[in-house]
Amino acid sequence: MSKTILIVDDSASLRQVVSMALKGAGYDVIEACDGKDALGKLSGQKVHLMISDVNMPNMDGISFVREVKKHPAYRFTPVIMLTTEAAEEKKRMGQDAGAKAWVVKPFQPQQMLAAVSKLVM
Amino acid sequence: MDMNQALGTFVEECRDLLAQMEDILLRADSADPDNAVTQDDLHALFRCAHTIKGSGGLFGLDEVVAFTHVVENALDRLRGGTLVFTPDLVSLLLDCKDHITTLVEATAQGDPPEAGHGEALLARLESALATPGGGVVTTPQGVSALAPAPDAAPEPQPRVHASGGGAFGTEHWHLSLRFGPEVLKNGMDPLAFINYLSTLGQIVHVETVSDALPDLFEADPERCYLGFEVALRSDASKAELEGVFEFVHDDASITILPPHSRVDDFIALIDSLDENERRLGEILVSCGTLTRRELDAVLAAQRAEATAPRLGEMLVHQGIVAPPVVEAALVKQKHNEERRTQEARSLKVPADRLDTLINQVGELVIAGSAVQLHASKARDTELQEAAANLLRLVEDMRDTALRLRMTPIGDVFSRFPRVVRDLSKELGKDIELVINGAEAELDKSMVEKIGDPLMHLVRNSIDHGIESPEARTAADKPARGRVVLNAYHESGSIVIEVADDGRGLDTARILQKAVERGIVAADASLTEAEIHRLILAPGFSTAETVTNLSGRGVGMDVVKSSIEALRGTLDIESHPSAGTTMRLCLPLTLAIIDGFQVGVGGATFILPLDAVVECIELPQGSDACDYLNLRDQVLPFLRLRRLFDLPGEPPPRQNIVVISFAGRKAGIAVDRLYGECQTVIKPLGRLFEQISGIAGSTILGSGEVALILDVAQLVQHAAARPHGRSGSKHQHA
Repeated sequence: MSKTILIVDDSASLRQVVSMALKGAGYDVIEACDGKDALGKLSGQKVHLMISDVNMPNMDGISFVREVKKHPAYRFTPVIMLTTEAAEEKKRMGQDAGAKAWVVKPFQPQQMLAAVSKLVM
Repeated sequence: MDMNQALGTFVEECRDLLAQMEDILLRADSADPDNAVTQDDLHALFRCAHTIKGSGGLFGLDEVVAFTHVVENALDRLRGGTLVFTPDLVSLLLDCKDHITTLVEATAQGDPPEAGHGEALLARLESALATPGGGVVTTPQGVSALAPAPDAAPEPQPRVHASGGGAFGTEHWHLSLRFGPEVLKNGMDPLAFINYLSTLGQIVHVETVSDALPDLFEADPERCYLGFEVALRSDASKAELEGVFEFVHDDASITILPPHSRVDDFIALIDSLDENERRLGEILVSCGTLTRRELDAVLAAQRAEATAPRLGEMLVHQGIVAPPVVEAALVKQKHNEERRTQEARSLKVPADRLDTLINQVGELVIAGSAVQLHASKARDTELQEAAANLLRLVEDMRDTALRLRMTPIGDVFSRFPRVVRDLSKELGKDIELVINGAEAELDKSMVEKIGDPLMHLVRNSIDHGIESPEARTAADKPARGRVVLNAYHESGSIVIEVADDGRGLDTARILQKAVERGIVAADASLTEAEIHRLILAPGFSTAETVTNLSGRGVGMDVVKSSIEALRGTLDIESHPSAGTTMRLCLPLTLAIIDGFQVGVGGATFILPLDAVVECIELPQGSDACDYLNLRDQVLPFLRLRRLFDLPGEPPPRQNIVVISFAGRKAGIAVDRLYGECQTVIKPLGRLFEQISGIAGSTILGSGEVALILDVAQLVQHAAARPHGRSGSKHQHA
């Protein structure tokens, strides 16, 4: 059974490229444009990994992780955060919220695949 | 989905973001306190650059990334308050924004962008950054950087090979992994890391260290108690191996020993781990990392420095709770952002799907009228009621469907602040742009088509209308000129005004020029309004020197014809030294309208309901004339029967439908009035497109074809005809 990955980013093109790479590697992908949207789209269904941008309108990535981790179904789901900022404080808040894996934008699709395969077998 | 499609999305996205940047930057430049740039705007501004950079990197657009990175730095400092807006900085950032646009558009076209310009801008930007706050511009991190965990576990600098004596002969890397109890909760699967490790080389041996595992009844299944000792044969560098564990650095203690490590390194390793020394040694031996002889050497050396403090128990969790202040600030920020996106929440849908929907709704409207017609023929009240219900719903649906295509005129207006700013600087004029009614909506296809005509009118106002500040002061006017863009709805049309408070049209000069160009005869007597309209004549230009602004080889006649192509009109109102107003009147949509159905002989015609003012009976005995007295006003009217040469005799009682367009009224004489009906506009075939007085056709519920009358042309036609004369001509015919 293929694994499902959620990608949350306000940039449609970024979502498209990442999702293309992930689908190419055999994953199923759910796309969402911000935290709110993602919470709506998840609604309890199983995902194996979540990739989320930090800086997004509506609900930012950190609030999203904090929120999603409250749900029993996602307590153990790994999260990769995407950021262009090396802001320590943001990162700490994100890690407290439960997002331990960080990937710096801009990245190449292969780099994302590598990061994903460190977390999902 | 392929990469090109994603690239298309990227370009679209960038256009939106760049437009947003421009809007904020222009507001930063304006003196209007209502429009002042807020902290939220600064965040948004930063996010624009941030997103362009982030997504650009994915497509390998290195120029975009490198350039945007420096811009992003500047914007970051603006939002951080260490840099403030100055007019020069705004100009510079606008130039940078333009350059990003160029880079992105070049990408869209598949051309490599030309070098040089960007570097000059970067140099300016960096010097701007260097001056006040003294910050240093960092260079782009490049596309290769995966997050280096900055507060990573204590990691020795890569020591590739041991120097000097004491090195062992092991050929493989040794990795000592102790996962923290929380890794599972953080979604990290130790097995996944080891699995990934195997992509970098060959795992020689894995020894599971389960010493920390308590009695199974006491063990918490959500905690991780395991450690692993891994022997790996690999050509990877230490940094690469460390990279495997980048996500668990904080949650685990990872020690990586390169091949041929020194004795000290093994001592340090054994010291750093919690397990019994002897047992660890056994594991190292069983992994093949150490031979038994080497182990003994290590343990002996360790005993010698037994006073050294143990480095164990380093797995400490940092639990930094955000202070309530930060929380509160976050909540507030989130709230603001929610509100903002609520306003701009939208969905992108390909236009052709909307067109299909509207076509289908159109067919539904026609099918609905057919049902209603049959219901009333069948004299079945219940069926009639059901049909009426259905038709009402279809009508609502039609309105909703049409609204889908409506976009605010503001989309067109938004490009003008920049134009006005740039042009007024270029001409040394001080001009303020006021935009009213940007929220007025009209059909998307119209929005696309009125951009150029409007641009021409605005350029004209700036170039020819508004005087220089000196001339204005001399004429007792405020030095700052004003161009106003106004949009509002009026009876099924949208009116767009471009008004300036400049010198107004010079009638004497216009007339003189028109005579010189042979547009009018020298002895023609014209009203002021007629003289104004001369500037719309082909081949007319009054600019003494052709500036590069309005003198682009496109005359007002082109503006006029492109507006007429949209079934619109262009009016000019001008007063000397008070200014000029150009008024465009355009239909809202081109698809479905509320119609008013009338009959002449056997034919049925539709008038747009919005244009119908009232209906009156044609007084007896007015056969000879084409005008009548409507409450002491002269109302010219047309007889459709004559206009379209329809066969048959008029009935004894005829009706006049009074229509109005652009403030002018006219009557249409018809045989019968049928009343309101929904009308789906079907374009006329190419053969009939040029017929004056007809705007399109539609299909009635009965399946018959009815022609839709062009109110603008009919009103003009009725008003332009010398009364009486053409009537008698038609009588001869």
